[in-house]
Amino acid sequence: MDYQDVRPKSQSELIFEAQLRRDRQFRANVALTWIVLLLILAVMFSGRNNLPFGIGGIKLDSAFMQANWSFIARGITSTIGISILSIILATLLALFAALGRLSRFPPFFAVSTFYVSLIRGTPLYLQIFFFFLALPQLGIILPGLWAGVLALGLNYGAYMSEIFRAGLAAVGKGQREAAMAIGMTARQTMQRIVLPQALRFAIPPTGNEFIAMTKDSALVSATGFVHELMWRATKVGRAHFRNLEALIIAAVFYWIMTLILTALQSRLESRMSRGDR
Amino acid sequence: MPPIVRVNDLDKYFGRLHVLKGIRLDVELGEVVCIIGRSGSGKSTLLRCLNFLEEPSAGTIEVDNLVVEAGGKGRAHRQLIHEVRLKTGMVFQEFNLFPHMSVLGNVMEGPITVKGQSNSEATEIAEMNLDRVGLLFKKDEYPNRLSGGQKQRVAIARALAMEPKLMLFDEPTSALDPELIGEVLNVMKRLAHEGMTMLVVTHEMGFAREAAHRVVVMAEGELIEQGEPESFFRSPKDPRAKALIEGYRSGARDE
Repeated sequence: MDYQDVRPKSQSELIFEAQLRRDRQFRANVALTWIVLLLILAVMFSGRNNLPFGIGGIKLDSAFMQANWSFIARGITSTIGISILSIILATLLALFAALGRLSRFPPFFAVSTFYVSLIRGTPLYLQIFFFFLALPQLGIILPGLWAGVLALGLNYGAYMSEIFRAGLAAVGKGQREAAMAIGMTARQTMQRIVLPQALRFAIPPTGNEFIAMTKDSALVSATGFVHELMWRATKVGRAHFRNLEALIIAAVFYWIMTLILTALQSRLESRMSRGDR
Repeated sequence: MPPIVRVNDLDKYFGRLHVLKGIRLDVELGEVVCIIGRSGSGKSTLLRCLNFLEEPSAGTIEVDNLVVEAGGKGRAHRQLIHEVRLKTGMVFQEFNLFPHMSVLGNVMEGPITVKGQSNSEATEIAEMNLDRVGLLFKKDEYPNRLSGGQKQRVAIARALAMEPKLMLFDEPTSALDPELIGEVLNVMKRLAHEGMTMLVVTHEMGFAREAAHRVVVMAEGELIEQGEPESFFRSPKDPRAKALIEGYRSGARDE
């Protein structure tokens, strides 16, 4: 008989295995609960009236949903498009705001802090309306999409400047000194040594901001110019007085989008933390 | 021949703290000078003043006929500092390799970005200097895949690729595990034999004894004693220098 097979397990092995078992059990229970919650939702919206505890089921207009889900789904590309354009603008603004925040040139520092303070001190909803409704009064009429992108980009840029500031701060002083010691100018040091490393630190949190933005882009629908998910949902919902159905469809799309983006994000994050580049 | 480095009445304050007090020091071309002293004696600050990573508060620094006055301002002063940095290479305690570049990229960065050399020129110089420190076979690795000793040798190659006239070493082996110190010191000794002018802040008395032409002792921001290693280690004169040497003999380090 193989001696290895009958070797008694050491105490640390037993503790480790017990820990693994507990972790597995925990995950299994969480997954089970998720499924139960989803089932409860499904049953509630199934329209059956003989549910336990006297709960009345909610009847959804399935004909309406079948007829209109694709109209709403066509908003997904707009939602993603506006989010991508906005995150690009936000990233650029955040980078400048962060550099300004670290600058010792007073006007640059002042512009940066002023921008961040103004944007963070007012609601995003107000900012979006400002670009759609207030600017035309001054004779500035922006195409709907660009007004939305401008509002979202400006808003997120102010919040994301903190991410880039942290990224820049995470690049050690030794890196700047090493660059300066080989004769690099302040500008070269920033471009070649500090920024590439700071951006690496900033990529995962920027991904999180992007996910948040896909949902905040729904606010742009309020102006009626960008035909993204939320706009389409409210439009068909109101037209047929089927708001519940329309909003549920939009919610499902948002949720699925978020799940996919979150999965991509966590893959990106684990690759970045492992990577040597 | 005039000395390649001349430090004149150098003072440095950190706020109210007077860390360098009227330092005078000349270094001849090809000379290897070890600066020793306890933590906080100002030895690293002195070294960092030489390439203006620290701006001195008063005094002048001359490097290879470039005279830089402390407290200078403006474009001309910055240009002068830039030229001083082109003539000096520096090796740090913490290596400070660029983690987002390969080993070869680290060594090529200066020649390309600062000197504007072509890719092929810079590659040639980088490979030659990596070979000099025995790490050409690691050229495509990234720094986080290297041991501490290897990182420091790459850092030396990176400094050498700029073809400096003077090398500054700021405690190059203090962050290393004991078994990795030897490989770095060997590279430094070879460099010394090749005639490189070197200023080395170090706690490695063996290296000072073997490779240095002169040992300089600092205490409380002052240069208290200097001499040839042979006679200095046999009979240090200043009581503080004596205490320092005895501390090293008994194996105690102040870090």
